[in-house]
Amino acid sequence: MSSRTVWRSLQLQARRRFIVPETPYRCFSCTRRAQDPPKFNQDDRMTHFGFQNVPEAQKESLVGAVFSSVASSYDVMNDMMSLGIHRLWKDHFVRSLNPGSALPSREHDTAGRGWNILDIAGGTGDIAFRMLDHATNINNDHETRVTIADINADMLAEGQKRSVQTPYYNTNRLSFMQGNAQSMPSIPDNSVDLYTVVFGIRNFTDKQAALNEAFRVLKPGGVFACMEFSKVDNALFNAIYKQWSFSAIPMIGQLVAGDRDSYQYLVESIEQFPSQEEFRGMIQKAGFMIPGRGFENLTGGIAAIHKGIKPLNRA
Amino acid sequence: MTRSQPLLTLSRRYLTTAAPRTTTTTPIRTTTSLLTTKPTTTSLRTIQHQPCLRTTTPSIRPYHSIHHPSPPHEYSNSQTTILSSALRHVPTHGFTRDALTLGARDAGFLDVSVQLLPRGEFDLILFWLASRRGLLRSKVENDALLQSQSQQGPLSVDDKIKILIMERLRMNVEVKDKLQDALAIMSLGENIPLSLSELHALSDDILTLAGDASVDASWYSKRMAVAAVYASSEFVMTRDTSAGLRDTEEFLTRRWADARAVKDKVSGVKQCLGFLGSTAVGLGRSWGLKL
Repeated sequence: MSSRTVWRSLQLQARRRFIVPETPYRCFSCTRRAQDPPKFNQDDRMTHFGFQNVPEAQKESLVGAVFSSVASSYDVMNDMMSLGIHRLWKDHFVRSLNPGSALPSREHDTAGRGWNILDIAGGTGDIAFRMLDHATNINNDHETRVTIADINADMLAEGQKRSVQTPYYNTNRLSFMQGNAQSMPSIPDNSVDLYTVVFGIRNFTDKQAALNEAFRVLKPGGVFACMEFSKVDNALFNAIYKQWSFSAIPMIGQLVAGDRDSYQYLVESIEQFPSQEEFRGMIQKAGFMIPGRGFENLTGGIAAIHKGIKPLNRA
Repeated sequence: MTRSQPLLTLSRRYLTTAAPRTTTTTPIRTTTSLLTTKPTTTSLRTIQHQPCLRTTTPSIRPYHSIHHPSPPHEYSNSQTTILSSALRHVPTHGFTRDALTLGARDAGFLDVSVQLLPRGEFDLILFWLASRRGLLRSKVENDALLQSQSQQGPLSVDDKIKILIMERLRMNVEVKDKLQDALAIMSLGENIPLSLSELHALSDDILTLAGDASVDASWYSKRMAVAAVYASSEFVMTRDTSAGLRDTEEFLTRRWADARAVKDKVSGVKQCLGFLGSTAVGLGRSWGLKL
């Protein structure tokens, strides 16, 4: 009986948006801004921010606010929202890419002296550390290096803090870079073997521009790999999933991270992201070759892995 | 290694895939290069075999027909390049990711480019099987494989089938030591459907090339028999150390004789049952039953 009353009060709290005690880290002003979109000029080009429409110039700062406010509780929240499955997805993603050269390079080889990996929107280093571990432990490759790029300084700081625990701290195999994925002038053309973006591309203001930039920095034959939330293909499962994401996730966000709006944005941005087929079309439009079907659904399509390969110049 | 020569120079028009593979999409520049390489030949047959532009999903047709062209293979140019240079490394590295990686490097790609082949080593095996099958077809159509040995009159369909199976097995000689690994990978649960459809495609090709024209239920039984004989001979071949695969050839002859014996027995039993049945009916009628 008492549990029911507790449950009801939680629901009420969630519904009325009571202010729960904040974590000290939380940035107030940012979420307030996310809550009330400021007045904007009607002439600006518009883009999605969750279910709202905001001018393109605004989206970057709005997304920045969201991720600044969730940076510290990022992992706990991911575990709660996906019931821990996101770790399996990330492990599978890295294993299927099999980073690192298992074979010693021969004299005339241009490839094989370690991969140059660029992990976009990988602030907390989740994917980067996994890839370095895989290259070192599975393929015995001590050359492969990862550059973690993120637009958000708070997320990068979180990753830097975590990298202290890894054997790659302060080596030339791991570097951090703050930058916008839509234009990265510091990275030369044809310099990257593997470009990964995991649960990040959904937040980009102009996804096609980011894809074009990926095409530019990749070496010919290099791979663009992207894991992102996607569309569930089973109607029944979809109904359950939608219920979970629109009712439970914002509430978990409020209870655990003390920030409902950021997680409301999260589920809305997942809903807005193009379907597997549409996104495959965008990758193709950037000039990539698509291997096989072009995407692999994870857990019934909640997330999907997309891949594209930059063609050789003469092909 | 004179036999390794055709391994590297298989004409693409003989490469067809049995697997219902989803369309591999390539950017426009690749498609236009296909267009420009299309020869201006007048032979209708040649045009039919050209890998057509993959704008529509080709229908999967699990039989041969002179009225319909064979479905084109579905590897993109880059995939074919990587796979065919990976085949050169199979005798030393086996059907592994290492062979694929080395193939990709040889073709000017990066290590990471093996991502073009979502199934990894199984793609290499399928490509091996499909290209050997294409090679068999081209040997029959271009090198007159089945005519050269026919001094004493035309060959029977059975003889042709045996020659074709042996020819196909001989193509495996250079990867003989690695074939058991390949068979192991093919027998993994997720790979069984594609392996079986490739086996069916091979037995179908062998029977068509041998000139089998059955249109009754034996169409199925013959394909099953050829597939079974081929698969068992392949297992024997992987452990055959005799010169020129003599043991395998003897094994094949025995199995084919067995298959024929079974066929004869079955048709004998069928005939006997039919005779008994008609006798019973006649007997019944003679007793005045309304049958």
